[in-house]
Amino acid sequence: MRSIDKTINRVEENVFLKLKRIAVAALAAGFAFPASAQDASWDAVVAAAKKEGKVVVYNMALGAPYFAAVVKSFEKEYGIAVESLDLRASELVERIRTEQSAGRYLGDVEMVTTTMIEEQLKNGDFIQKLPPVPNAVNLRPPFKATEHSVPAYVQPMGILINTRLVKDGDVPRSWNDLNSPKWKGKLLSDDMRPLGSGNTLFAVLQNNMGAEFNEKLAEQKPVFSRDMRNDARRVARGEYPIYITQVFAFASDLKGLPVKVIVPQEGAPYAQMDLAMLKNAPHANAARVFMQHFLNVESQSLYANAWMLPVVKGAAERADADAQPYANAKLMGMAKLSERADMMSLAKKLYP
Amino acid sequence: MTLSADDRVADIAPARTRLPHARRFLNGAPAGRVVGLTLLALILAFLSVYPLSMLLYGSLHSTPPGVAGVFTLDGYREIASQQNLLTLLNTVGIALAKTIPSLILAVLLAWILARTDTPFRGTLEVLVTLPFFIPPILTAMAWGMLGNPQVGLLNQLYQGITGSTASPINVYSYGGVIWHMMQYSVPFLFLLIVDAFRAMDPSLEEAARMCGATRLRTFCTVTLQLMLPALTGAAILSFIRGIENFESPLFFGSPAGIHVITTDIYDSINQRSPPQYQYATAISFVIMALMFLIILMQWRILRGRSFQTVTGKGYSPGVMKLGKWRWATFAFCALFFAVTVVLPVSQLLIGSFFKFFGFYEWDMLTLEHYQAVAGSSEFWRAFGNTMLLGFIGASLTMLLGGIVAYVSVRTRWRGRRLIDTMAWLPWMMPGIVLGVGFLWGFALLPHAIPIYGTIWALLLAYISLGTPLSVRVMSSAYGQLSYDLEECSRVHGAGWLQTMWRIMIALVWPSFAVGWVLIFFGIMRELSASVLLYSVGSEVLSVVLLKLWANGSAEQVSVIGLIMMAMVIVFRWVQLRVIKRWIGAL
Repeated sequence: MRSIDKTINRVEENVFLKLKRIAVAALAAGFAFPASAQDASWDAVVAAAKKEGKVVVYNMALGAPYFAAVVKSFEKEYGIAVESLDLRASELVERIRTEQSAGRYLGDVEMVTTTMIEEQLKNGDFIQKLPPVPNAVNLRPPFKATEHSVPAYVQPMGILINTRLVKDGDVPRSWNDLNSPKWKGKLLSDDMRPLGSGNTLFAVLQNNMGAEFNEKLAEQKPVFSRDMRNDARRVARGEYPIYITQVFAFASDLKGLPVKVIVPQEGAPYAQMDLAMLKNAPHANAARVFMQHFLNVESQSLYANAWMLPVVKGAAERADADAQPYANAKLMGMAKLSERADMMSLAKKLYP
Repeated sequence: MTLSADDRVADIAPARTRLPHARRFLNGAPAGRVVGLTLLALILAFLSVYPLSMLLYGSLHSTPPGVAGVFTLDGYREIASQQNLLTLLNTVGIALAKTIPSLILAVLLAWILARTDTPFRGTLEVLVTLPFFIPPILTAMAWGMLGNPQVGLLNQLYQGITGSTASPINVYSYGGVIWHMMQYSVPFLFLLIVDAFRAMDPSLEEAARMCGATRLRTFCTVTLQLMLPALTGAAILSFIRGIENFESPLFFGSPAGIHVITTDIYDSINQRSPPQYQYATAISFVIMALMFLIILMQWRILRGRSFQTVTGKGYSPGVMKLGKWRWATFAFCALFFAVTVVLPVSQLLIGSFFKFFGFYEWDMLTLEHYQAVAGSSEFWRAFGNTMLLGFIGASLTMLLGGIVAYVSVRTRWRGRRLIDTMAWLPWMMPGIVLGVGFLWGFALLPHAIPIYGTIWALLLAYISLGTPLSVRVMSSAYGQLSYDLEECSRVHGAGWLQTMWRIMIALVWPSFAVGWVLIFFGIMRELSASVLLYSVGSEVLSVVLLKLWANGSAEQVSVIGLIMMAMVIVFRWVQLRVIKRWIGAL
């Protein structure tokens, strides 16, 4: 019996070993096969993209040098031409809407804010579901790809101070410091009532700092303007000591001027830019390859060096020393589409 | 003054009986005229009525074209609010407050530079018009640096001289908005009226003087009266532009809480969620209706009156001798030049050689902005496209405007008023809204018509936008020509084409040239339609300027602005030399 048992055990062991080997082989094959399949299928996507020959990108970068650098590196790596149509937000959305309504499918990729994509999905089917983009697995928290888009980069906002007019002891460390009586009438801001950076800041601070914060800020009588680029220079020239809606990136090219961007301790409100594929994109494969390239560490590092927040792992660490505080800034939140109308009317109420 | 304005060539019965050839054309074969007028009407319908009809649809529909929705008057209902009435009154007030002083200044400058012996008037004539050709965003930045109450250079100068701590100048105010608008409206009005002053027969003024009228009375009762069509036409154009002005209220009005219709429209399209196209188009049509009432008033004022100053009698358009006062008029022009050109442009010029505007330190001295512009392939591509569109666009626009003006002013053909009105329409619609009309209109054309997404879309939009101006310029010029000139030509056996070429075109071409320059540089500056219609490869300068500005390259924008000004100087210098030769040949 014992020998039979031994034999059975031996057979079982052999079977088990065989099963184990098969299982391991199957597991290994299971992992290996999809990877190689993915590689193969991605290679096919790249080959198809090269065959398409170009990709049309609708974006709001308006010729920004870091975007141009990403485009250049993409063209160099893949030999695929990029046609970049630069438009302001409202013009871009209306152009896409009009073109698609007229049956003209000219664009492949759009790079717009998260809320713009939400709005497009709410109002129509201007974008299509996005097939996998391999580099999306490298997204760092809290950024996530969705069914329709992948994050591209983040534009946080902080406080710009004139270093000659704001003494070290007076530098605002918290958003609450803006409500100090000493800054009454001395704050310059992007207009908080219409859609834009000003209202984004207003909405995020309303949610995170409480309603009282905005009420007190309104009592400070901030002066509103509509030209963010020039506003930073007005602060540099000493017209105002503080600008309260400073997009970090817009100050990155002011090196040499007496200004400094402060990231308040509570964090920075931000706008997230996403990449999405337009409906019936004529160069769908090239569009995916472009997104893949945009999410690689080198491309993201270009954005990090321009004082924006990269969305993939490993890019912020590679940023230049002066860009590090901004590439790794603590984020506070972004405006929500669902709250937009309420926030705009509240801002109008506080700033009649 | 030989005939009243209503005695149009088509009704000159004796001439017709003697001149069957001319008659055949002018009064002529109805079929040919009908075909010609229909063709003209169709062109204008496509250029102006079609995009406007898209906007009208947008104003009456809950959604933009191409999106399911319902017809509703909600857009118009939303306009009817006390806040909007106040904004409208504010807008009209600002437009009037800038048009009236601008017109006075422009008339004075035109009279001084065209009708008097003021020294260096040829040079001054080029220089005083320069502000018109500078992108408004640049002058806004320059005046922001000069006239801000905190650290503005002019206030610092005042404080340095007087020892006071007060800041008397604040450009972020009603005064600043109006002043910035005047930077553009004075040279604009000047350019529109100066040739009317120049072409006037001085014998009319001399007759008044011989009858004992003083210089002032002669100026008011003869010179100004004869200039009425040119002045009212130009003033209305300027007033409407004042209503539609966007940059000045945006830069200088917004910080002071000043709201106007255009910033309201801008917000409703660009800064509301979702964009309120129905409201924006509805309010634009209400404005358009109000503008149209003003134009009807002008037609009523001028109807039945004659303003011909260029007749068949020989005359020399000589100038008035001012004696020692000529130095006073020179000083006036020089002061205007210094304040409106030297002050802001010097900021731009100096700033273009430093790393940052307003920070004039030795270690920031650089040529990098010039190098960046010179080395930018995008700039050169846009420059080439803009030159192409500018030359073709300005020429075609002036040609179309010349034909429309001729039909409107010098014939009594049925339908001429309709054609004139169609040509006017785009001027009365704010540019930011009309740009959307072009986008909708061109995109929704059948795909077999290859306009959308090509450079031709831009060309057609530019022709549409420029035609009202070209018609006004040419109408004023035709209005000054006596009908005896054409009669005389025909009596002596010239054909219609020969008469047109040797009499009409020869006499109005200085106005044609001024209109051409205005439209050429208008095309260079146009942004609202360009940004919505351009495609990759058909970028134009205004789009490049926008992109540079948006990326914080104000200094490079300034370099391009200076290049544009240099071009203006060359264009105007050539133009004035040729006009001088023309006057000499009279």
